[in-house]
Amino acid sequence: MAEVKVKVQPPDADPVEIENRIIELCHQFPHGITDQVIQNEMPHIEAQQRAVAINRLLSMGQLDLLRSNTGLLYRIKDSQNAGKMKGSDNQEKLVYQIIEDAGNKGIWSRDIRYKSNLPLTEINKILKNLESKKLIKAVKSVAASKKKVYMLYNLQPDRSVTGGAWYSDQDFESEFVEVLNQQCFKFLQSKAETARESKQNPMIQRNSSFASSHEVWKYICELGISKVELSMEDIETILNTLIYDGKVEMTIIAAKEGTVGSVDGHMKLYRAVSPIIPPTGLVRAPCGLCPVFDDCHEGGEISPSNCIYMTEWLEF
Amino acid sequence: MTQAEIKLCSLLLQEHFGEIVEKIGVHLIRTGSQPLRVIAHDTGTSLDQVKKALCVLIQHNLVSYQVHKRGVVEYEAQCSRVLRMLRYPRYIYTTKTLYSDTGELIVEELLLNGKLTMSAVVKKVADRLTETMEDGKTMDYAEVSNTFVRLADTHFVQRCPSVPTTENSDPGPPPPAPTLVINEKDMYLVPKLSLIGKGKRRRSSDEDAAGEPKAKRPKHTTDNKEPIPDDGIYWQANLDRFHQHFRDQAIVSAVANRMDQTSSEIVRTMLRMSEITTSSSAPFTQPLSSNEIFRSLPVGYNISKQVLDQYLTLLADDPLEFVGKSGDSGGGMYVINLHKALASLATATLESVVQERFGSRCARIFRLVLQKKHLEQKQVEDFAMIPAKEAKDMLYKMLSENFMSLQEIPKTPDHAPSRTFYLYTVNILSAARMLLHRCYKSIANLIERRQFETKENKRLLEKSQRVEAIIASMQATGAEEAQLQEIEEMITAPERQQLETLKRNVNKLDASEIQVDETIFLLESYIECTMKRQ
Repeated sequence: MAEVKVKVQPPDADPVEIENRIIELCHQFPHGITDQVIQNEMPHIEAQQRAVAINRLLSMGQLDLLRSNTGLLYRIKDSQNAGKMKGSDNQEKLVYQIIEDAGNKGIWSRDIRYKSNLPLTEINKILKNLESKKLIKAVKSVAASKKKVYMLYNLQPDRSVTGGAWYSDQDFESEFVEVLNQQCFKFLQSKAETARESKQNPMIQRNSSFASSHEVWKYICELGISKVELSMEDIETILNTLIYDGKVEMTIIAAKEGTVGSVDGHMKLYRAVSPIIPPTGLVRAPCGLCPVFDDCHEGGEISPSNCIYMTEWLEF
Repeated sequence: MTQAEIKLCSLLLQEHFGEIVEKIGVHLIRTGSQPLRVIAHDTGTSLDQVKKALCVLIQHNLVSYQVHKRGVVEYEAQCSRVLRMLRYPRYIYTTKTLYSDTGELIVEELLLNGKLTMSAVVKKVADRLTETMEDGKTMDYAEVSNTFVRLADTHFVQRCPSVPTTENSDPGPPPPAPTLVINEKDMYLVPKLSLIGKGKRRRSSDEDAAGEPKAKRPKHTTDNKEPIPDDGIYWQANLDRFHQHFRDQAIVSAVANRMDQTSSEIVRTMLRMSEITTSSSAPFTQPLSSNEIFRSLPVGYNISKQVLDQYLTLLADDPLEFVGKSGDSGGGMYVINLHKALASLATATLESVVQERFGSRCARIFRLVLQKKHLEQKQVEDFAMIPAKEAKDMLYKMLSENFMSLQEIPKTPDHAPSRTFYLYTVNILSAARMLLHRCYKSIANLIERRQFETKENKRLLEKSQRVEAIIASMQATGAEEAQLQEIEEMITAPERQQLETLKRNVNKLDASEIQVDETIFLLESYIECTMKRQ
């Protein structure tokens, strides 16, 4: 770090010189310098000249103005960033800053308006400008498909916006979910089969037909059918859909902390089951599945005597 | 009574008893209890015919009567009892599996005749059985009586209420209609009869016509000589007991599907032990200790006590919750949770209907809402992992078919739609009722279609009947082969084909009626036990 030589300057110093000095000072203290520090370094310069110099640096985009507990801080800006912002005016800088603050969750255009107090037309112009300069990008939110959130160009959108492992490019991947569904079910089914064949006493048979969510997760990871990394919660949501299909039942047991796969002292176990009744009698008759059931009565256009579904069913 | 039920009752009455009985029966179902003259007046039939029709209906336990004040007797029809007529084949088949052919014929006679005395039943059944046996062998009355006594002991047949025997007869005029009473204890008490005899084979038509009247008269006089020893003690089939049996069967098969064969045998043993002790509408069976169950297991199953205990623990812990543990004495007291079992079976029926009608994704949503009770649309999409558009479509379809309902929770007092929560929920009772109504209409449709098919081919059926009669008479008078062949060829090959198709269709429709009746049984039992609980 070059040592700054304190030169005694004549009172009417060159403004450019002052600016350069301030910039050098900022480089010395990358975290930011207060007004006080500048004053200390250049005590002979009047406050007004200082203010003019600082304002010029700010408008040129070489300094950042920050507020801290002690007062105002001036910080050197990245030269790269400074290059980017050349030619943008204050409003754009403001909008850019707001978007940057939003991080990887992105921010909605209405929220930008609230924070910057700029009118809508201005905001839209600025956003278009920034987008064309490839500084920000718009990401469609998966929750509300018409809402667009803006975030910095190089940031990865957060899970809540894109929907996580089940969404790719805003599309729900139903085939992927179906495939996972079937694979998990096959795994549990084969486990139950082997348990049934072992013909030991019923307690052991039942316990061995259970699989914990951790086991299923390991199996799916090893299968390698998913290009996205799946967590145990993801696998549990898939197993829940199997429960709602009526193919699998779940129990929760208390497990010692530290056993593999236990969360908060309990483990979820899953087991393949078969339905308790065969398809019921009503659906074996054509009337049970008939779409025009309510219109059917004797003597009408649609009646049991001329029912085409019945005719087809009788010929079967 | 809903329109669908009335339609079904009218079809059944017409098929079994004829036009006049149908008219009177349907009129009574529609209008409730009415006195004799009003019935005659409203239906426009003569008093005589109304009396005969009412006789038939009362004999079959379809109509009951009551003496009101001022001496008016009113008649009331039981719509639910009429619908039981659909289930007669199932009752008969069940008795066949439990008590073989003798029992099957006893129950069949009782169902076909409504009420009968024991001696009459025994005689008829013996005669029928003798006919099917080989030449020279006859059925002994004693065997039939034994089966009858066993049926009474297991409560499958019961005594009908009878006229009470008054100690000192009233000097006044007899009441217009007797009030029948039956003592609880006497309901299954078989009178001490010594029925000795053998079944008689019906005389073949070899006898000439002249011999017949002579044969008739002696039979008539013998009847008069021996007074029927159990006159006045009539028996009927106990439908509630059959229903209990069907319910037990459904529970056992559900356990077999969910667990394995041994567990279902254990449950069957438990149910058998509580057959007589628990009333049919109780929510739980009597607690049974594990020692008792071990002793009552069927002989073929030799599992050790330890294994039995393990099975019982597994059954009690199962999420199905059919079996519960109620105490620890005697090695563990276990009960069967009947209401929960019926509710699970009814829910499974609903799920099966949704699955077949709308697809397995809809079934997933349906089960999801059943489990979570109330859900918003967004939550349904997230839990079921179904794309939003499709999930919305399915929810609306199920909503329009009344399988689901909406619960509104307003955020603001003005109930503005944009500021209200709409939660989807399933009300099992109302969905079960809706499905039951659909079942009734379906069976009515199936019966109508069957009658239509038969009517369409009436000409062909009559022709085939005539041909059969001609063949039979010719065979009796000893015709030659060539002549028989000629007559048989009167029915051409395509006509024979048509007859085959007709027979197959009618059988299919019949079988389908019985299958839909199984669904009706589950739903009705569930609705009945839920209503009693409330």
